[in-house]
Amino acid sequence: MANDELLLLDGGMGTMLQRDGLQPGAIPELLNVTNPERIRTVHRAYLEAGSRVIYANTFGANGLKLKDSGHTVAETVSAGIRIAREAAGETGARVALDIGPLGQMLQPLGTLPFERAYERFAEMVRTGAGAGADLIVIETMSDLYETKAAVLAAKEHSSLPVWVTMSFDRTGRTFTGCTPESMARTMEGLGADAVGVNCSLGPAELEDIIRRIRAATNLPVIAKPNAGLPDPITGKYSLGPEDFARDMQRLAEAGAEILGGCCGTDPDYIRELAKCTGNRKDRQTPPLRGAVCTPSVCRETGRIAVIGERINPTGKKRLQQALLEEDLDYLVDLAVSQMDAGADILDVNVGYPGVDEVRLLPRAVQAIQAAVDLPLQLDSANPAALEAALRVYNGKPAVNSVSGKEESLRTVLPLVKKYGAAVVGLTLDENGIPETTEGRVAIARRILERAEQAGIPREDVWIDCLTLTVSAQQEQARETLSAVRRVREELGLNTVLGVSNISFGLPNRLLVTQTFLISALEAGLTLPIVNPNQKEIMDAIAARRVLTGEDDSCRMYIDRFAGAAADAKVAVAAPEMTLSDAIRRGLKKEAARLTEAALGTRDEMELVEQELIPALEKTGEAYEKGTVFLPQLLSSAQAAQAAFEVIRGELLKKGREAVSRGTLIMATVQGDIHDIGKNIVITVLENYGWRVIDLGKDVPPETVVRSAEDNRVPLVGLSALMTTTLPAMEETVRQLKAMPNPPLVMVGGAVVTADWAKAIGADFYGRDVRDAVRIAQKVFG
Amino acid sequence: MKHISAEEAMRYMGAGAGDEDLRKETQRIAEELEKRIRPKHTWRAVPIRQEAEGILLVGTALLLTGRMAKRMLSECHTAVLMACTLGAEYDAMARSTEARDMARAVMLDACAGAWVEQGCDEAEAEIAARFPGSFLTDRFSPGYGDLPLDAQRTLLAALDAERRLGITLTDSLLMIPAKSVTAILGVSDRPQPARIRGCAYCALRERCTYRKRGKNCGE
Repeated sequence: MANDELLLLDGGMGTMLQRDGLQPGAIPELLNVTNPERIRTVHRAYLEAGSRVIYANTFGANGLKLKDSGHTVAETVSAGIRIAREAAGETGARVALDIGPLGQMLQPLGTLPFERAYERFAEMVRTGAGAGADLIVIETMSDLYETKAAVLAAKEHSSLPVWVTMSFDRTGRTFTGCTPESMARTMEGLGADAVGVNCSLGPAELEDIIRRIRAATNLPVIAKPNAGLPDPITGKYSLGPEDFARDMQRLAEAGAEILGGCCGTDPDYIRELAKCTGNRKDRQTPPLRGAVCTPSVCRETGRIAVIGERINPTGKKRLQQALLEEDLDYLVDLAVSQMDAGADILDVNVGYPGVDEVRLLPRAVQAIQAAVDLPLQLDSANPAALEAALRVYNGKPAVNSVSGKEESLRTVLPLVKKYGAAVVGLTLDENGIPETTEGRVAIARRILERAEQAGIPREDVWIDCLTLTVSAQQEQARETLSAVRRVREELGLNTVLGVSNISFGLPNRLLVTQTFLISALEAGLTLPIVNPNQKEIMDAIAARRVLTGEDDSCRMYIDRFAGAAADAKVAVAAPEMTLSDAIRRGLKKEAARLTEAALGTRDEMELVEQELIPALEKTGEAYEKGTVFLPQLLSSAQAAQAAFEVIRGELLKKGREAVSRGTLIMATVQGDIHDIGKNIVITVLENYGWRVIDLGKDVPPETVVRSAEDNRVPLVGLSALMTTTLPAMEETVRQLKAMPNPPLVMVGGAVVTADWAKAIGADFYGRDVRDAVRIAQKVFG
Repeated sequence: MKHISAEEAMRYMGAGAGDEDLRKETQRIAEELEKRIRPKHTWRAVPIRQEAEGILLVGTALLLTGRMAKRMLSECHTAVLMACTLGAEYDAMARSTEARDMARAVMLDACAGAWVEQGCDEAEAEIAARFPGSFLTDRFSPGYGDLPLDAQRTLLAALDAERRLGITLTDSLLMIPAKSVTAILGVSDRPQPARIRGCAYCALRERCTYRKRGKNCGE
């Protein structure tokens, strides 16, 4: 390099191998075993061109890609490292174990479970580290979740430095929607030693992405782009060595310090690249703001961010029941409704007697993340549950919470550090909650000190000065507020408060809660934990954001209230609607409101039998006639669902059993990941009052059988969309029918026919959702 | 890029004759989809060589032995491989829509089907522009006619589709992201007739509501 502020990597390996005639479709890593000299020659050429780090030929040498190759990961990876080591010889150049994507998508995008991906990476890491790699490079990643699995495997099975680069496209995101900021935050949190971009596009198109990564991390930034874009007819890349190096100089100026080339580059490119100069002296690194993120949403802290409190079973009967039944869909509904109401972060707490938090918290996190794109705050008093959830969280979460108690500091902080989370520190310790501001600030200081000692940056420490109930301890409201002010001003930390607690036991709670919220925001509260579905609370937040200038040109405020006026008009426009009308027209809010009104005078079951079901039947008949179409049928079912929820809540209040006409299981068979059809059927069946246990998609036969045994259901529904997964359906039916008391089985889905259903021994063939209803009626009587 | 046709999406839902309200709602969802997601495509042209066992697409591991390929490529000097996808971001959008509202999810699914087909047309226009004076055949895909579904793996590898578009394949030969399409088409010096007609060649044949009711969309 022209100066020592830059570090020079190598260029494309595949490019070189294809050039001298790699067989189309062959696995390039097998050459490590079959023709090591060819690989050695490529390494030598790059070293002669000036590369100081060479990537061993191990990119795709994972257990999934080598499965049918006749060679093992151990021999392919160790040979790859050995060849690179020999080539590096006395040059002092370092050898990287190169790890690329596994080639299969992880759940929920695909079918590969997170832990299985982790194992595949761990296998490569153990072999590579054992064979003498100097560092580990995880590259060409597009899924942040897969990248996390790889980094965890690298960290837990070696002590080598870990570099991470992902591929971004013109939209500024990876193929799975990960942003540069989310990558940088998550990877720095997990302990990566450098982050950046490889492959993707040419250097000129990556300048903005390099700048964004530079602004989101203090780690060294890597740029290893392609030689421009390939021509689809000639296969030639658009940039020559000089043009490539010229554009790379711009990336160096944008903050990249570790430079190399990917597809289309060869040793000539690296020789030119060696002339680039770094600019470390000119670069200012402003202190980073804290953040939590999902792959596509990075929420910087410092400004107000609303934390939704509703996924917490304390005092909530309906949620308690859902947790005991492991009805994760209900949690997802709560998450969705809070997101739609404007929450920025969601607290997730599943702690309740009879619930195994260590098992359920990670499952809840995965279910919510599959549907809702908001950062989560993992809330548990059980460190094992926290660790299980931290492991499977996709992105950078917050942990709720650590306290000033020695036991808590000792167990929670190392987890927060290891998984790179933010953490809520509660200002209480072995002596309880201090009554004075001074006492709480002192605990806050102690938590901060211990967090920093554990290696957690201060911007990731959030302090909760604790809200006490004002009707019980009136003078404490003032102390809480003054503690918030001092933590914000003296320590400069973000502050959290569970706001709703203030008004417990008082009439017109909402007014007290709202007033306290406004005072706390004024005192410096940045992370209020509230119920975002309470309009008055979010109104106060919206107004606050106007006054602080966070809401630029009052745009969000105007949108919020301009929209509200229109809603009000609609509500008065339909005064004489009946419940049956509301269901047939698919009006959810109306259906819920009319049900509430009707419950004053009518019995719950009577409403179900005389209003809900007949209305659904009418829509179903119209659907069969072709005067109403699938979306309308579903809207109608969802309106009925809203009515059911009201009835269910009422029954729970009275301590009675929920309405259920019987329970069945539904699953999309193993290997099949298209489950929209199954979900359509579930939506409708549930609204006839049947309880449906949804096993999801890609469900192994054994899982269906186990659930059928555990729940003793009389009916199981299976769906398949692809011809390739029909054998899995057949096998599932076979195993179900081999049970001592086999359930009845209905099958359906795009490729399933009545003849096939009969041939594989299913009891019913459901052509469409109406058929499924008829079958269930027959089975349950 | 052209817009999603709400009429096309309505047909996919089996609601070709659907009412005005449904059409308006579908239109709104189509607009939302267009705003959030653009189809991405990649393609690669390779020479064709007739071998004893079949047609070899030179520089790839694709050796096409079936009648389908023979019929399609008989007058061609070049084959073009292409892939188009709405990407994993669409899958995420679909999942979150399903969690909110199945009715909207069904409409979104139909719009997405129309959108990815639109993306394929766009790719084809780009291909045509690179072969001035030549003629393109219809597109055909693994799983159509006698072109086996497992050709999908080789085709995706030849396109480097995982790296270029983020398309992967499960063991049961399903493409992820869900709204992904691959195709092969031929380039000829002579005008090419439309050879592909009817349900057997339709990408929707496995989930078509018309077909299930024993009809087709032309009736």
